[in-house]
Amino acid sequence: MPLQALRTIAKPQNGVGAFILQCKRLDFHYCDWAGSSRGMNDFIKNQLPAFARQNPSIEISVSPRPGRHPVVIGHYMNGRIKPICVRKLDQLQILNKVSLLKEASGEKLKRVTKPVKSVNESVRGVWSPFHGKEMYKV
Amino acid sequence: MKTLRLDRWASQLQPPRNPRLYLLAQRCPFSTRESTPRRHELQRRQHQIQTRWQPKRRDGTSRRQASSAAAVAEDEVEYEESPKPNFPTHKHATRSTKLSALHARLSLPTKLPLQTLARCLIDPSVDPRPGYNNAPLAILGQELLGYYTSEHIICHYPRLPMPVLFAAQYAYVGPPTLAAMRTEWGVEHVAAPGPEVDPGLLQLKRMEAGNAMAEDGTQFVKDLPAARRLGSGRRNDQFNYRRGYSSRIVYDDQFGDLHTGLKTLDDLPPFTGAPQAEASEGSEDLSTFTPQDHPVTMDTDPVTVEAASAGFVRALTGAVYLHAGTAAAKAFHRAHVLSRHLKLHELFHFTHPTRDLSRLCAREEFEPPVARLISETGRLSGTPVFVVGVFSGDDKLGEGAGVSLNEARVRAAAAALRSWYLYSPREEDIVVPSDVEGESKKKWKPQMIDMGEIVT
Repeated sequence: MPLQALRTIAKPQNGVGAFILQCKRLDFHYCDWAGSSRGMNDFIKNQLPAFARQNPSIEISVSPRPGRHPVVIGHYMNGRIKPICVRKLDQLQILNKVSLLKEASGEKLKRVTKPVKSVNESVRGVWSPFHGKEMYKV
Repeated sequence: MKTLRLDRWASQLQPPRNPRLYLLAQRCPFSTRESTPRRHELQRRQHQIQTRWQPKRRDGTSRRQASSAAAVAEDEVEYEESPKPNFPTHKHATRSTKLSALHARLSLPTKLPLQTLARCLIDPSVDPRPGYNNAPLAILGQELLGYYTSEHIICHYPRLPMPVLFAAQYAYVGPPTLAAMRTEWGVEHVAAPGPEVDPGLLQLKRMEAGNAMAEDGTQFVKDLPAARRLGSGRRNDQFNYRRGYSSRIVYDDQFGDLHTGLKTLDDLPPFTGAPQAEASEGSEDLSTFTPQDHPVTMDTDPVTVEAASAGFVRALTGAVYLHAGTAAAKAFHRAHVLSRHLKLHELFHFTHPTRDLSRLCAREEFEPPVARLISETGRLSGTPVFVVGVFSGDDKLGEGAGVSLNEARVRAAAAALRSWYLYSPREEDIVVPSDVEGESKKKWKPQMIDMGEIVT
């Protein structure tokens, strides 16, 4: 057999074809009694329906957690979660936190030093001392 | 699209192509044509079954009168009507947040209802009845995925050798890729199937891990004698059969692998209306087989998560095709399969590139290839580098660098072969066959067909 082939998996490129939002689920926990949940309760009443309508691809669950501070938990495609405590925040501050969770990729926060990443090899190639008009001399 | 009739297209409603698949006679739960059988109809059918079977059953059990009690118990089991589904019914589908989120996330066409999406998530290991699980959709989806992928690869790289073609097909729509796609879509699977779980989860009966300890506590599950793979029973499945590429093209699946999980002819029940001979009867009139005689057994084989995930993605493709048509299915395929990145040149694994290259040059009537040193450094040092080019006449076919002259020559020959095999026509000249199907405005251009890979 003159030739064999190696088996791999084609790598996903989110956004090249379909774009899939990495946040798949948001959990909202609130308390009916405690004062730290006042902003959260306002958020659920006033902001959440519109937010849910704008983001149909996110599964949203609202559940009471009496006697505790309000929390928003984001679940991501890579299996990680991001919880944010929103105690004593008003509804617009909570909306900012929620959109932060929505736009996150779920990865741990990292410092980006090289702004461009590519799966393709460099077209120009790695510099070689053996090519070009003049041979490279030390 | 107005003439598209779902109940005609869904395979479980048609008379089965393979008459041995008697299960296909079951009805589709979402069929618009007719409602599910009413209770009195069920009772009538049960009565028919009993009256038809009782005299025969007595004959059959006369051989084993000693265990008549056991036979009665067996009869009761057999006469039980079709079992209750072990998965959430389609009525729950519209209330599931997971399902509607998935529908929106994948930007599925609005013509595809949530009920069908829910059905795509039901693996045959949960319910073997094709009217309830995703198997019919998955068969259609597998063919579509294979067709669209292979035409794309072949038209874009007409000189690709067969092994690389199989590997590329596997990389795009092989089971591991489809399983990865399922996790990228955020679809989770159930721990165990049941009617109470969320319909937005992949329902499957999960196979125990092969390296789990078996019940005897001394060996792994995979080492148990029963853990053999079920083959297709064909000749090419036998141990002494040499599976060349011609055989793979003819017998095997779209990745050049043996068909697994196919049942042999002995395992399958007879087709509807097949004459049945009773060994104990000896009478002339043969009874005929009807599917109602053999109720569905819910005792299915467990599957791996990978296989079930692949089935889900295939079924979803099939469902998109059935509900929204060819254009939507192609768009779905382009968005989720062809958008993936595959380095084709890394799939090649040459064993004798220099020999192949000289054969290629002889076949194409080029001058025989000659390797020439282009530049070098450090010949006498511990880390020499040689750059060698392969030339056919004045044309440089390929170039490679290596730590020895021989390695550089072999690399150069491999580079030359790769650039030959990875030839691609101009983008505007490529028309895949499915582009000109139906009422498409595109005009067909004849596509290049290569004479094939080098055979040595």
